[in-house]
Amino acid sequence: MLFSRKPRADEFEAAALPHMNDIYRTAVRLLGAGSGADDVVQDVYLQAWKSFSQFELGTNCRAWLFKILFHTLHHYRRKWLNIRMVKESEDILEQTAAGGPPLPEQITDEEMLAALTEVPQDFRAVVLLIDVEEFSYKEAAGILNVPIGTVMSRLSRGRRLLREKLVDLAQSYGIGRMHQEGKSA
Amino acid sequence: MNRVRFGEGACEKIRKYLDSYISNELLIETNHEVLRHIENCPACAGELEARTQLRTRLKTAVNAQSVPPELQVRIREKIRTDHSSSWFGAGWFASGWSHGAVAMAASLIISVGVWLNYSPEKMPALTDRPGQNVYIQKVSATLAAVLKVGLGDHIHCSIFRKYPKDPPPVEKMEADLGASYKGLLPVVRAAVPDGYRVIMAHQCGYAGRHFIHLTLEKDGDLLSLVVARRKDGESLGALPPALETSGVPVYQSAATRYQVAGFEAGDFLAYVVSDLKSKANLHIAANLAPAVREFLLKIPA
Repeated sequence: MLFSRKPRADEFEAAALPHMNDIYRTAVRLLGAGSGADDVVQDVYLQAWKSFSQFELGTNCRAWLFKILFHTLHHYRRKWLNIRMVKESEDILEQTAAGGPPLPEQITDEEMLAALTEVPQDFRAVVLLIDVEEFSYKEAAGILNVPIGTVMSRLSRGRRLLREKLVDLAQSYGIGRMHQEGKSA
Repeated sequence: MNRVRFGEGACEKIRKYLDSYISNELLIETNHEVLRHIENCPACAGELEARTQLRTRLKTAVNAQSVPPELQVRIREKIRTDHSSSWFGAGWFASGWSHGAVAMAASLIISVGVWLNYSPEKMPALTDRPGQNVYIQKVSATLAAVLKVGLGDHIHCSIFRKYPKDPPPVEKMEADLGASYKGLLPVVRAAVPDGYRVIMAHQCGYAGRHFIHLTLEKDGDLLSLVVARRKDGESLGALPPALETSGVPVYQSAATRYQVAGFEAGDFLAYVVSDLKSKANLHIAANLAPAVREFLLKIPA
């Protein structure tokens, strides 16, 4: 259509810019600080701006931006190739049913983020979307373009792995041992 | 203690639901089943507590990081640049028009547009108060009401008002600001980029409101810091922040050639207004916001 209305920058800014912190944090946690997260976030917003005419105002702009984020990250896959993949298995509910290791009490934000980095990125992505960004299973499935069952299994596995990594990390610092010693005293 | 028994394997069954319970994804009936069980099962209650804590701590750790202000500015600039330059390039060629046809159409529309719409805002004479008010209303028409407050005083006071060629001495500006606000002078001087000098600082009034107003100048560019007491219901929070600096959200919009940035400080609304480029005005506002806010928060209500 010749005279289709170009979306206004202020409309786009009002709808999309308030979510930049969420997009940035997720990109940093998936790529690592200094690993191109700034460029990814910029690409996400420029792509979103270019396709904003297709976005229906009043619908979930935040979920739409996250979908673009993961689409953009897909093109940064080469940066992810050296990350160890964990095979998803059908026995996830069996593992989930068991109690995990006790969570260390004394743990800093830095240690939490270090443990998160150790979680394979497919699981990490779901944990970030559900636990940090508080998307529903259905929204996360739409963002990642996977079935809801996959979201559920990755979430359970991701949470469990994070907990195990935290315990490993804490024990390597002597935190877990101190905590256990304190309890047994 | 009444213990509700779910039969063999009750704990295993409940723990399979715990992740979905934490994510609030269970049906109401299943939710109640989980609740009933954990009320009577310390082991599962402990497991639920551990999983919930993990989620809370993770959220806190991840959310401690914010997008760098310079990235926000860069993205906004790129959007604005693209907005003003790419309409013909993307949409029209994609619609199947030849380059020549698009160029002719563009030329025609630009010519007609210039002919019909070129009407630069005329600056009213210094003595023409009604004309000044019309001018201010006209240039601020597209702004959110809460930002018009700052722009109005900037134009009324810094643009229309005559100020001495040479800035008054510090003592005069301190006296004009009054005891409560004279401390803003060193705060502002320390926060603005090199080369800016305060050429006017006083308390003034416009459109029935009272303002603390500092005007700065550098190479002919004027910039105002305008501070007003917040009226009931007035808030910048409904606008999308342009950036956040040291935890202070800064908002900015353009109105014709003016850039109006604003931030909140307790009972006060503060504005940085200029006809600098968007990025430059926002940069100065971001530098001023934390220090000015800290100063204003100490002013008694």
